[in-house]
Amino acid sequence: MKGLLRSSMVFRWMVAALGLVVVLSIIQELARPETTDLISAGTAESTLRRAVPILLAGLGGIWAERAGVVNIGLEGMMVLGTWFGAWGALEFGPWWGMAIGMAGGAGGGLIHAVATVSFGVDHIISGVAVNIMAPALTRFLSREFFVNRSGGGLTQSPRVESVGELNVPFVSGGDLFGWTTPDLFGWIDDRNWLLVSDAAALLSGITRSVSWATVVALALVPLSVFLLWRTPIGLRIRASGEHPVGADSLGVNVYRMKFLAVMVSGGLAGFGGAFIAIEQTGIYRENQVQGRGFIGLATVIFGNWQPAGAFLGSLLFGFADALQLRDRTAVHALLLLVGVALAALAVRAVVQRRTRPAVLLAVASAGVLWWYAVTEEVVSELPPITPHVATLLVLVFATSRLRMPAGNGLRYRRGQE
Amino acid sequence: MELAGITKRFPGVVANDRVDLRVADGEIHAVVGENGAGKSTLMKILYGMQSADEGRMLVGGSEVAFSSPAEAIDAGIGMVHQHFMLADNLTVLENVILGAEPTRRGIIDRRSARRNLDELGRSYGLDLHPDDLVETLEVGERQRVEIIKVLFRGAKVLILDEPTAVLVPQEVEELFRNLRELKSRGHTIIFIDHKLEEVLAIADTITVLRQGRTVATVEPGDVTAHELAELMVGSELPAPSTEPRTVDEHVTLSVRNLTVTGTDGRPAVDAVDLDVHRGEIIGVAGVEGNGQGELIEALLGLRPTSEGELLLDGESIADWPVRKRREAGIGYVPEDRHRRGLLLDAPLWENAMLGHQTQPPYAKGPWLDRSGAREATARIVADFDVRTPGIDTSARALSGGNQQKLVIGREMLAGPRMLVAAHPTRGIDVGAQAAVWEDLRAARRDGLAVLLVSADLEELIGLADRLVVMLRGRIVAELDPTTTTPRLLGGYMTGAVDEEASTS
Repeated sequence: MKGLLRSSMVFRWMVAALGLVVVLSIIQELARPETTDLISAGTAESTLRRAVPILLAGLGGIWAERAGVVNIGLEGMMVLGTWFGAWGALEFGPWWGMAIGMAGGAGGGLIHAVATVSFGVDHIISGVAVNIMAPALTRFLSREFFVNRSGGGLTQSPRVESVGELNVPFVSGGDLFGWTTPDLFGWIDDRNWLLVSDAAALLSGITRSVSWATVVALALVPLSVFLLWRTPIGLRIRASGEHPVGADSLGVNVYRMKFLAVMVSGGLAGFGGAFIAIEQTGIYRENQVQGRGFIGLATVIFGNWQPAGAFLGSLLFGFADALQLRDRTAVHALLLLVGVALAALAVRAVVQRRTRPAVLLAVASAGVLWWYAVTEEVVSELPPITPHVATLLVLVFATSRLRMPAGNGLRYRRGQE
Repeated sequence: MELAGITKRFPGVVANDRVDLRVADGEIHAVVGENGAGKSTLMKILYGMQSADEGRMLVGGSEVAFSSPAEAIDAGIGMVHQHFMLADNLTVLENVILGAEPTRRGIIDRRSARRNLDELGRSYGLDLHPDDLVETLEVGERQRVEIIKVLFRGAKVLILDEPTAVLVPQEVEELFRNLRELKSRGHTIIFIDHKLEEVLAIADTITVLRQGRTVATVEPGDVTAHELAELMVGSELPAPSTEPRTVDEHVTLSVRNLTVTGTDGRPAVDAVDLDVHRGEIIGVAGVEGNGQGELIEALLGLRPTSEGELLLDGESIADWPVRKRREAGIGYVPEDRHRRGLLLDAPLWENAMLGHQTQPPYAKGPWLDRSGAREATARIVADFDVRTPGIDTSARALSGGNQQKLVIGREMLAGPRMLVAAHPTRGIDVGAQAAVWEDLRAARRDGLAVLLVSADLEELIGLADRLVVMLRGRIVAELDPTTTTPRLLGGYMTGAVDEEASTS
């Protein structure tokens, strides 16, 4: 594990994340009277909550694509997860809801695997088919199961209970054997020390009232790394995505690996969907996935097909999403951040002697900063789409040095080269 | 090990027709034959990748039938494929253990795998770093990974499918040292090849295949290379050979100080100067990945140049887009005809237009001229001996040789001034190879300037008027093919010899 941390991009990303906290903190100071939400416990908590479904979709994408199957059907599998999650939660309780949502998503994965692996259907076409089929199926199931219940209907379920929450003892005032421990981070946050309080606010946000489902989702990041990089089956899955013919020549059952990976992928997406229904909204409602499956796919690319990278990508999206929900003026302050980030990229381009990108980035940076300076708030259409814009921007700047699995998206037939 | 009466049919062809092969324990047994003689099919059957329609296989006296490579591996048979079966983005260690991972409590036991790999490497003289990514390795090293992979599984019998095809002579010697080492430790080696000097140098027994049949089993002491070749071909041999010089004073293409930045940011082509005269074939030799591909792409305009000048008949073309260069008369035979040369699922007559779709006979004003295109295609098929049922056949249905003849015909019909050919005979059979050579010679006679990039050193020496060697993006030597041997060329290609040393 240690070697992995040091050698891979994960370590660099962690440093980058730390740097981001510092930058955010500074920008928060600059924008102080306008907003206080750029870095606060509330924003941190909301960021994490918003990031989890994206993270799960992203992990799902990684599992499938590491095995060489493009899973654009993540969105549909999440939709299945929302319905089955809510249904399961109603019938058996929230944890069962999570499990059944996962199974629902895995069912979507199974369809995708049968189409792409067994029948050699183009991955995109099959994925789109899953995306079209899933909402239709859930509408049908709602009519069968939800319409007759109180609070339920064609497009929604009755309200469901959520799983419990965790307050970490001592640092965020959690209970320990009936005794309420002190809230250390909260206390530091209230002191308003530059940087230190901000960091504490952040930590407080992610250690207080954390859904146990979030804890499970976060644990899936190292677990995915472990399974894919440390176990024989993980190696075989990755080999099937890199060089299926080669893997086959060593006696690896490539079809089985791909099936397995795509079903795990669907299961993770289903978990993400169930999380939306059970934890975020407490109800199944049609269209509540809102493209998070696709954003998850974007984090796969952003994260260079590494779980930790997808995690960071999902945090980025979660942050933008949390900001726009909590405080629209904060989005205006975000312009300052974007302007500074673009300027940093411009400087990097200058150092690398890439003239054209340097000029373009500098101009873009100046434009954004000017926009920030002359306006009081951004146009009202912008805040809701901030997360998507952020995702797009990052993808544009991050795609140059990515390495996707060599056999990704290709049809594999045994005995054909 | 013994194979008797193996027959394998594919739609339309009999790849193996009652083939017999008997391999004694602990020998190096060579299987030779032309491309398409059925060697690879036979080996795939032996390795369980394909199953025979008829015939029996005996290993160590008992009859076996493998339905998958896993079963062959269990029986102690391992194969080193012609196209490496390595995942580029995995490490050497991961590639080696894949499918046979040592584990401890369900986790890959890297330490024991590494120890095992080091041990194998030391005892057989196969030097490798387990944690390197395969994509960073050179060809010879990749081959060592393949061999270790097989040994790691405890194979006693190693099948090597054309192992020397991708190696330069120095690497071949290294490989042969390894093979002899393996043999001395009791391994049996089946070695597929069509380079006869190599076979005679290493093999204990040689089996010759021709058109899917066993034609002879001989010992190297009893035959000469020439006799062996005749056994393979069944008659006299085609060979690349030059004709009287047709080189003109006129410089068709002049490359000055050309520098092209590679994908890694370093110069892939580094300050190259090169003149190609009218009626001249310039051969470009080099280990793959030393800038030949980038040089060609820069000539065609497929890749931006960062510095330097390109002159076609004295006119600067460096800023021209690809289409203008093509229209000005640069013909192009791409390295990978499946990906760059043809639309495999389109009919031949559409393929014939590619690259010339803006000019007669393929176009009339802004519109495509279907009847003109069909006529032109029929002419290509007739003149260049493209064996096809018709011009509406899809390109995929043609054999590699006929696909290549179509590509060359397409380029020649447009009447170019200059022809850029990358590996024009790679992966095609001997008949088509001879035809392609003849086409190149005809182009030279017609006064075209020809730039020929090839990995086949015999081909380069036989056809070219002048040879240049590229190493790390630079031209490191210019040689006269009449006084050059493949060995010397290989020395320049790997940098083992440099020009200063040899001329002084």
